[in-house]
Amino acid sequence: MKKLALAATSTLIIAAATAAAATAAAADSVASFTAAAEQSRLEFAGVQAGAEFKGVFHKFTASVEFAPDALASSRIDVQIDMNSVDTMDKDRDTTIRSKDVFDVSHNPTAHYVTKTVTKTATGFAAVGALTLRGVTKDVPIEFQFAPAAGGAKLSGSAKLNRLDFGVGQGEWKSTETIGDAVKINFSLVLKPKT
Amino acid sequence: MPNQNSPTRYNAVAQAFHWIIAALIVTQFTLGWTAQFLPLGARKVARLDWHKSFGMTILTLAVLRLLWRLFNRPPELPAGMTTIEKSLARATHVLFYVLLFVMPLTGWMMSSAKNYSVSWFHQFTWPNLIGPNEQAFNLLRTTHDTLSWLLFALALLHILAALKHHFWDKDDVLKRMLPFTKTEKRS
Repeated sequence: MKKLALAATSTLIIAAATAAAATAAAADSVASFTAAAEQSRLEFAGVQAGAEFKGVFHKFTASVEFAPDALASSRIDVQIDMNSVDTMDKDRDTTIRSKDVFDVSHNPTAHYVTKTVTKTATGFAAVGALTLRGVTKDVPIEFQFAPAAGGAKLSGSAKLNRLDFGVGQGEWKSTETIGDAVKINFSLVLKPKT
Repeated sequence: MPNQNSPTRYNAVAQAFHWIIAALIVTQFTLGWTAQFLPLGARKVARLDWHKSFGMTILTLAVLRLLWRLFNRPPELPAGMTTIEKSLARATHVLFYVLLFVMPLTGWMMSSAKNYSVSWFHQFTWPNLIGPNEQAFNLLRTTHDTLSWLLFALALLHILAALKHHFWDKDDVLKRMLPFTKTEKRS
């Protein structure tokens, strides 16, 4: 009787240890994705002369390592081609690419990479370093992650102040003409990294 | 609704509509014509920002004024005017009303076509009338510019006609639209 109990206990211990090991292994395993360029969108909305205007970046690449139960090793890394900015007006796009705004000839790409990813009540949040116009600053984002057939969907938003990054020099510094706050919206269709 | 205008005078509401809109149109010409010569930049954006806010104010006043006009007949034109003169005067005024709508509307559509939504003094944003479209923008800008010349010519004719009535014909056509004046009762 005593022997049996001992055997049962040791089985339990082994089972528990195996389960713990499996969990530990899962915690380290994140799935690796890249964003499918055609289906993914990166939008921004600013305020010009008191009215909101929207724009997109047509060219950007995103590399995502993510698992909802392995947030410590999850990471989102986005490279944006600043030349691909499109606000559906050529004059404005030319101005935005110019030296006083994005200065694309000296800063052709912007880079965002997360440092920490955490769970929130409604989804996930991350804080990452955004390098824009040669200035690097932390920008928090909020996002949802939904597994989908053949990959996943990652969508979310962020807010930043353009003047923190020196976007808008000289006459474009005035927040009366162009608001400081800029909203970002993104929707990435993720495919497994091959 | 009874006619609020007297047979010989425009009343205070009609006069307010006339002079406020006249002042706004002068402002619009100053802002719009000078903005054309500014290089693309923050000053131009700011000037056109005012131009759009005033333009939407004019459009709103035009709606109210037309409603008012539908229920309140204007004072009779002087009996001494010929039929042709009366028809010309009527045509001029119809065209003024048309332009009071068409100028702001083409301006609003221009902004929509360029994907620059119209704000009203930074208080709220008007919806876009059409989607972004460069060709439509170019056509609308030409229309808006051309019609501004027509409006300018019409205003000039209007002012000269008012002065002609006052100093040449010596009738009360000018005075009945002037505040703080009196017009004689016609027998």
